[in-house]
Amino acid sequence: MPLLAATGLAKSYGGVRVLDAVDFTVERGEVHALLGENGAGKSTLVKILAGAVRPDSGRVELEGSPLPSGDPLGVRRRGLSIVYQEFTLVPELSVADNVFLGRERGGLFLRRSEMLRAVQPVLDDLGVGIAASAPVRTLSVAHQQIVEIARALLGDAKVLIFDEPSASLSGREVDRLLAILRRLRERGLGIVYISHRFEEIFALADRLTVLRDGRRVATEAVAGVDRRQLIRWMVGRDVSEEFPSRRIDPGATVLEVRGLSAAPRFQDVSFSVRAGEVVGVAGLVGAGRSSTALAILGALPSRGEVRLNGRAVRFASPSDAIAHGVAYVTEDRKGRGMLATMSAAANLTLASLGQYTRAGWLLAPRESAAAAAAARDCDVRAASLEQPASTLSGGNQQKVLLARFLLTRPKLLILDEPTRGVDVGARAEIYGLMNRLCADGLAVVMISSDLPELLGMADRVIVMREGRVTGALDRASATPEAVMALATSSRSAA
Amino acid sequence: MTARRFLSTYAIFVALVVECVVLAVAAPSFLTGDNFANVLRQNAFPAIIAAGMTFAILTGGIDLSVGSVVALSGVLCADALVHGWPIWSAVALGLAVGIGVGLINGLIVTTVRVPPFIVTLAMMLVVRGAAFKYTDAHTISGLPPAFAGLSQRMTMAMVMAVVFAASWLLLTRTPFGRHVYATGGNREAAWLSGIRVDRVLVKVYAICGLSAGLAGVLVASRLNAGYPRAGELYELDAVAAVVVGGTSLFGGRGSIWGTLAGAFFIGILNNGLNLYNVSAYDQMIAKGMVLLAAASLDRWRA
Repeated sequence: MPLLAATGLAKSYGGVRVLDAVDFTVERGEVHALLGENGAGKSTLVKILAGAVRPDSGRVELEGSPLPSGDPLGVRRRGLSIVYQEFTLVPELSVADNVFLGRERGGLFLRRSEMLRAVQPVLDDLGVGIAASAPVRTLSVAHQQIVEIARALLGDAKVLIFDEPSASLSGREVDRLLAILRRLRERGLGIVYISHRFEEIFALADRLTVLRDGRRVATEAVAGVDRRQLIRWMVGRDVSEEFPSRRIDPGATVLEVRGLSAAPRFQDVSFSVRAGEVVGVAGLVGAGRSSTALAILGALPSRGEVRLNGRAVRFASPSDAIAHGVAYVTEDRKGRGMLATMSAAANLTLASLGQYTRAGWLLAPRESAAAAAAARDCDVRAASLEQPASTLSGGNQQKVLLARFLLTRPKLLILDEPTRGVDVGARAEIYGLMNRLCADGLAVVMISSDLPELLGMADRVIVMREGRVTGALDRASATPEAVMALATSSRSAA
Repeated sequence: MTARRFLSTYAIFVALVVECVVLAVAAPSFLTGDNFANVLRQNAFPAIIAAGMTFAILTGGIDLSVGSVVALSGVLCADALVHGWPIWSAVALGLAVGIGVGLINGLIVTTVRVPPFIVTLAMMLVVRGAAFKYTDAHTISGLPPAFAGLSQRMTMAMVMAVVFAASWLLLTRTPFGRHVYATGGNREAAWLSGIRVDRVLVKVYAICGLSAGLAGVLVASRLNAGYPRAGELYELDAVAAVVVGGTSLFGGRGSIWGTLAGAFFIGILNNGLNLYNVSAYDQMIAKGMVLLAAASLDRWRA
């Protein structure tokens, strides 16, 4: 008998079938990867397993007895926990207080020391140096995630579901997370692992299930599956090549950065980008990559020299930068990118409204024509551009953001994690678009934590560590090992 | 989902029509021309203030100083008239007071980065205090009869129509309007997209102050006096009208016509309860319930 067994799950929203007769099982001591493009039904499946959504039909059993449906708290008490993509911790409270949130020890008064004593061994056992008394806001994203895991373990979890746990982690942090998950597997836990990163799935998972358009396409042992097959299952067709090749013919230098500093985030950063060139920026989370981009954009005060097309510039604000042909597409699509309550069209034209005015008045036909053209150019798929942006898939939202800034007709485009949380199909389209833009003479800076993507797309790679540039590699010498060595080598070795 | 969207957009208009039909059937005096003009005149002030408040709330902010601005603008306008200023310049003074207070609100919000709730709460006290101090808590009377003409029914209705038409044009037909929605929807995203969010906010609070200054002038005309207690609790009426009209207190979503409907929904509710001789206390309770219902609807649709 499997530890967790879901049979015949179906769910429709307003006549649209998002899940159709899906079976899914997890054994004790197994990591079962769940894959699919955005919109394939993964999150609906997870929500049903967790009791947050009631299925139209089908049932979920844990250790042979049915789980209560529509009762997430009840499901968690029975031993099924989710570690969410967006963390659910209270930043001002301590680690221990967070772990015991909602089931505090003590009556009228909290028994803090007892909670601390209960949490600390669990943290130590996970092999991390986190103090149970530390406030959560002082922890890195990776450590916060481990606190979430500790919370689930103290709740006697038997099945843990990880929803894109590596999305905001750096390479080394991912390795540590995978090590922790292997240890949990040895203890007999069942683990469901959702990720867009194939490397992790091949390194960790025992079995995998692929969903497409709400249906289960395959459930196989990972050992017998290759990358190509996996993509075919997910997309439903062959995605010819993940990284389309491009003839590199760089032109004049567009951006030159010399000795740019914004202590303590980054110091003495220098690099240049030529027209028609993609310069990748590698590094761990917190290496100062996004801060450098924001400083160039005028969104962060800094010292040093920035030259655009040979002329020294200092932007006072992003609007200044955009007016000079510099655009930055954020890594934080939800928090700093999309206007969720507004239409896709309004999101597209937000940065270029000035182009659609006469005497200060917006010209609606001109604006909607520009939005439609931009959506077409960037392959945004939406039933209508009037639908709220929040209803678009992650990949389409990313394309909307890209299109928004392309409408400002930039000469320099800075992309920060351009494919985070984007499915395989949309990813390939974004790469294709980048290549087209380069061919047209745009200079592109691509910040990415996804090494294969960085090495596949960048003509040159700059590596940052702890706020400094530690190396610059050309395409031939940029191997994963070389980049990682520069990104992680300790101070003493440097 | 689509039913929700429909309701969230049109609930207040449906409610307003239902309210009018019910009253027309239940209270024969409701449909008379006199009563209609009455409703229009009584609710023009709160509606005009609510128009300005819509801008502030769309950015995710609020302006609690508008009631006090009504008083100060009215008092200074009245005093100028008493001192023999021509009407147009006294009115301009009243409007300038509103814009001035609004600019101060906006500059403090954007430069010191104190939340709008606190900034405008403080300005509510400061401005009200200034109105009392200036008049020594007395009423300024003896205004020229021509000034009272401003608050005649037709003039009031026209002023209100102009205010709402202008607000609508600003919000839906200019980049500024889009910037207002974007600032409220996701301030950080708006800023990174090249919107000068601080400038937007300063303009928004100036507009909010201007609408309160205008209401202050009209109130002074209606009372034919400068009264330092004028406009008390108007800020809450304005917020209520905006929220009942379906604009989200979190910013980024709402419409100016919703605000107009919201202001008149509350006004007609008062009118209907008056026609039935319901006590003022019960009217307050009814108004509170309506506000709560509207806010609950906002949560449900989100």
